[in-house]
Amino acid sequence: MSVSKTPGGKALDVLKSLPRITLANLRPNPGARQRERKRGRGAHGGSKSGRGHKGERQRGNRPRLGFEGGQTPFYLVIPKYGYNEGHSRRPQYQPLSLKRLQYLIDLGRVDTSQPIDLTQLVNGRGVTVQPLKRDYGVQLVEEGADLFAAKINIEVQRATEGAIAAIERNGGVITTSFYDPISLEILCKPVPFFLRGQPIPKRMLPGEDMVPFYMDAKNRGYLADPEKIQQARKELAQKYGYVLPDISKDEIHRMLAMRKDPRQIFFGLSPGWVVNMAEKKILKPTDEKLLRYYNS
Amino acid sequence: MAASMLCRRSAKLSVIFREISVAKCLTPGNSHSGLLLQVANYNPKPLKLNLKDPYIPDKSREKTPEWQKTAKYDRKLFGRYGLASGIDPEELWPSPDQLEAMIAEEKEWQPSLEKMLANIAVKEKEKAKKLQAREKLIAANMAKMPKMVEDWRREIRDQKVKKKEDKLRRDRLLAEARARFGYALDPRSQKFKDMVKDIEKEESRKRKQLKRRKKEEEMAGAAKVTEAPSTPVTP
Repeated sequence: MSVSKTPGGKALDVLKSLPRITLANLRPNPGARQRERKRGRGAHGGSKSGRGHKGERQRGNRPRLGFEGGQTPFYLVIPKYGYNEGHSRRPQYQPLSLKRLQYLIDLGRVDTSQPIDLTQLVNGRGVTVQPLKRDYGVQLVEEGADLFAAKINIEVQRATEGAIAAIERNGGVITTSFYDPISLEILCKPVPFFLRGQPIPKRMLPGEDMVPFYMDAKNRGYLADPEKIQQARKELAQKYGYVLPDISKDEIHRMLAMRKDPRQIFFGLSPGWVVNMAEKKILKPTDEKLLRYYNS
Repeated sequence: MAASMLCRRSAKLSVIFREISVAKCLTPGNSHSGLLLQVANYNPKPLKLNLKDPYIPDKSREKTPEWQKTAKYDRKLFGRYGLASGIDPEELWPSPDQLEAMIAEEKEWQPSLEKMLANIAVKEKEKAKKLQAREKLIAANMAKMPKMVEDWRREIRDQKVKKKEDKLRRDRLLAEARARFGYALDPRSQKFKDMVKDIEKEESRKRKQLKRRKKEEEMAGAAKVTEAPSTPVTP
């Protein structure tokens, strides 16, 4: 009979009867490994060993990089100008396009049923922010604004007008807020911060040059007047030509109305609390001076 | 949500957004008009806190390095092992002195929002004042412009006329010299200059004579007028 007794068929019988796998039985697929061509060996690698014929090339005495035989080199002909002067004092904002945001939402890497924060974006590996490289956060850019269709409560550090319009057109809420570098690092990497055992610090206010930006309702700044923000929403809807959806009549308006206090870094955690990861506990100070400091 | 003392702004916001009582409970998937959105669960890397075999340095020994006896390291131990590390949680927060130092530093280097707004207002005022002063100066100068343009144009015209006159005078003098001496005299020579002086003297004498004659005529005219009424008086 040619029917095998074991379930799985003849292939499994054959596999079982083969010898054990050892180094002697293994071989890479043809074309997987390419032989290295060593210099100075063999008919083609030998002789002058790829160095050329006589002169500085063969003798390894070529001049420095950029030298043009005595002609004033390019890097000296061009006059100096302070394009990069003070570059380390300029705040940088990592761009986040609406196209990428929609991509992240579609793949489920960012949860739209909760307010979207820089922490959520970093957790979903949507953006990479480097606080030590003068990054002050994330800016929302309107690339892909016509494809964007998600109702979200998002908080970024800067946003262009088109991006704000796109988010509000879909019934969402956008806020721009400021994080000083220490707070930004804590926001981006909360777990290493909690392992340090330090109390959550207060978020500092922006510097004098950035205060007007964050107090402006057009930028949806977190220090701006809420009534002026409502006004700005209407004006933007008129400018871009869409009907402004009424958020207060929405089912999730409570989630959309969630906003952080200017001194708060995390939703649900106040400055001054210590979060312990080992025992999954939160420790709060009771001393009134500490409380007064952390709540000021 | 945050402590009530911090909720001021969010409370204000929810007033603007007009709270309504939410009757039905919300499920994470139902927020998009019936479409069920899948949320990828976040699977973080394991923390590896090593809670079963913690290393807690012995502070009494001299062999333990100095950096393992600092407050910063204590906080890290607490952060990693919790209360099992044997560190009093009170040590995590700043001591009263440190707190005072922090408050002083913040007062000096982090001005409050009101102060910053005041500073900004002052700066804006300065800028506005400077701008206004500049505009005023420009306006004043522009108001003077037509007159200045007129003056300048007149100046140019006068200069042109004067130049023409000078040229004519020079030609006349040269012709005069030619007529007097019989050959083309160099205007820079002494003879020419003497001749010019003589001519000028004659001119001035003529002018003076004219003036004297005019005066005499006037005097004569005045005398006649005064004499006329006096003659009938004599009986």
